[in-house]
Amino acid sequence: MDLGGSSIGSNVDLSKISERDKQELQQFVLNESQKARIQSSIHGLTDTCFRKCIPAGTIKKGALDKYEEPCMRQCVDRFLDANMVVLKELERLRQ
Amino acid sequence: MDSLGGAGLSAFPNDPKMQIMRQVQQEAAMQNARMLVEKLNEHCFERCVPKPGTSLSKGEEGCFTSCMEKYMQAWNTVSKQYVARIQRESQQGALGAGGL
Repeated sequence: MDLGGSSIGSNVDLSKISERDKQELQQFVLNESQKARIQSSIHGLTDTCFRKCIPAGTIKKGALDKYEEPCMRQCVDRFLDANMVVLKELERLRQ
Repeated sequence: MDSLGGAGLSAFPNDPKMQIMRQVQQEAAMQNARMLVEKLNEHCFERCVPKPGTSLSKGEEGCFTSCMEKYMQAWNTVSKQYVARIQRESQQGALGAGGL
């Protein structure tokens, strides 16, 4: 993997790509960036919720217990609810 | 775009379009792995090594193993919950999760 962030396609002759393929590539990259955004959100949410749901201190068991697992799920849902509240409030202020 | 599975991408190794697609996917996977490693280190170091000694103790190493397992399980739980929710919301045609 010697691919730097900007080197994608550098070893590919772009002139050989048809217009149709270029459009397909554009759509592909769009889809991939959406996937990347979602994954990045998942990383952020896991980070936040792990802090809240897994009690401080040494970790003894490798699995989530019966309190931690629902806590993680609820944390995701409440975070998104809260996100929605923020958006709605901003929307209200804008009017 | 469903036809572009892993098999589809490797079927034409010299097709420039496929090459670009593969590179984009590899780059995304790499970024995802990097992020996970960073978070694992951050969380587990904080919890498992409160007072760094002259070397990692057996207990600290054991804590790291459990912590990593727990964090990855938490990641999967969050992933399922989050994806299910954005799918539900995009089906409703509501605002979706665009704000995140």
